[in-house]
Amino acid sequence: MNCDETKHNLPEYLSESLNEAQELAFAAHLASCEACRAETERLGSLWRSLALLPGTMPEPRTNVRDRFYESLAAYRHGMESAPKHGFKEKLAALWPRQPAWQMAVGFAMLVMGVGVGYEIRPAKQEVQQPVSSDVAQLRGEVSNMRQMVALSLMQQQSAGERLRGVSWAYRVESSDTEVLSALLYTVNNDASVNVREAAVEALHAFGASPVTRTAIVQSIPKQTSPLVQIALIDLLVDLKVTDAAPELKKLSVDETVDASVRERAKAALGKLLQ
Amino acid sequence: MAEVGAGEVQKLAVLFERHHLGLFRYFVSMNRNRELSEDLVQDVFFRMLRYRASYDAHQSFTAWMYQIARNASVDSAQKRKGEVMFIDEFTDRQADPAPGPEETAALTQDLRLLRLALDRLPADKREILVLSRFQGMKYDELAGVLGCEVGTVKVRVYRAMRALEQAYLTISGEKTA
Repeated sequence: MNCDETKHNLPEYLSESLNEAQELAFAAHLASCEACRAETERLGSLWRSLALLPGTMPEPRTNVRDRFYESLAAYRHGMESAPKHGFKEKLAALWPRQPAWQMAVGFAMLVMGVGVGYEIRPAKQEVQQPVSSDVAQLRGEVSNMRQMVALSLMQQQSAGERLRGVSWAYRVESSDTEVLSALLYTVNNDASVNVREAAVEALHAFGASPVTRTAIVQSIPKQTSPLVQIALIDLLVDLKVTDAAPELKKLSVDETVDASVRERAKAALGKLLQ
Repeated sequence: MAEVGAGEVQKLAVLFERHHLGLFRYFVSMNRNRELSEDLVQDVFFRMLRYRASYDAHQSFTAWMYQIARNASVDSAQKRKGEVMFIDEFTDRQADPAPGPEETAALTQDLRLLRLALDRLPADKREILVLSRFQGMKYDELAGVLGCEVGTVKVRVYRAMRALEQAYLTISGEKTA
């Protein structure tokens, strides 16, 4: 073993994961090379001290455990109250878990789709006229279906299902007022902080609407979770809602709200008034 | 985790008890903020539930968990971009071994300097040392977490140790000057 190989093997030597032959070769090199021996000793000493550092670090507070068990109980409750073995679940169970199989199935379906489409295609002259209206109708139906899925999932008992509903909101048109109303209702009333936070994120796409902008400002004081309040404040900044300045100013000095929310409101005010 | 993936979500409690302290120390070492680290620990376990179907029983659970932890950390940093982060000044706890009073004082001082040196390292070097030394991760697991070859991990650990030594010597010099 030469000096370069010794340096390369040093991490494994320190973590005692060299095999016997490598360890013997390593030791033999150290016996004949003072520079490598000195470096191994120096870094070895640091390596041993590093193992003691975690013992000097702070421990998480006890409420971390409480929060975890509360979240887990809520999640389990959500799972138990969700309908089991519905058609959707059965369909989902058929979908393979491995990405490679998912791609293979996707590709096979694409090939089948193209093949079937080719077989049933109408004669050329018949296609000319109705194609644009057919496509528009199809788009409309797809859009309606997305809206329906988003709205129905957002009304589920399970927080997980409602989260999925919120994620479907990204797929609808930003002018869809029904989905916007459902999102705003979720932001203001959902029992789960995670779902409320996700709904705030989803409102980004609806930021052009004055309804959204006003509703965000009105929602902040109603929120009980500082996390959601902070997410709403960030959204105001992202959407450059300068009209929110008075509300933010009020929030930044309100002693009844969480200190981190006050700080964030203050920072947001600075950004909006730049 | 495979049982959690199969729907027995209550088994996540076992994983929480086993790993939450290690995760917390990883986050605290990376961001020096207790409150944020506690939130990130919650986030990791919530993400485990959410993505439990993506867990492959053939891969190392620890590597999978720290991949999630790194993603949570990156997402959190992006969310807080531009925000002033508070660095907590932690009160030192006594190191585990219990030598005599003078030796303890010297050891505590050495460890304090070492922690300062570790804090001064660039995040990638600090992270690889924390994962390999604090969490005891094997180099093949680290390769999975960091998305590189085992050989690259060894080179990076060596470089990180050299950088740590340099930082430690610099800080020791500053303290004695």
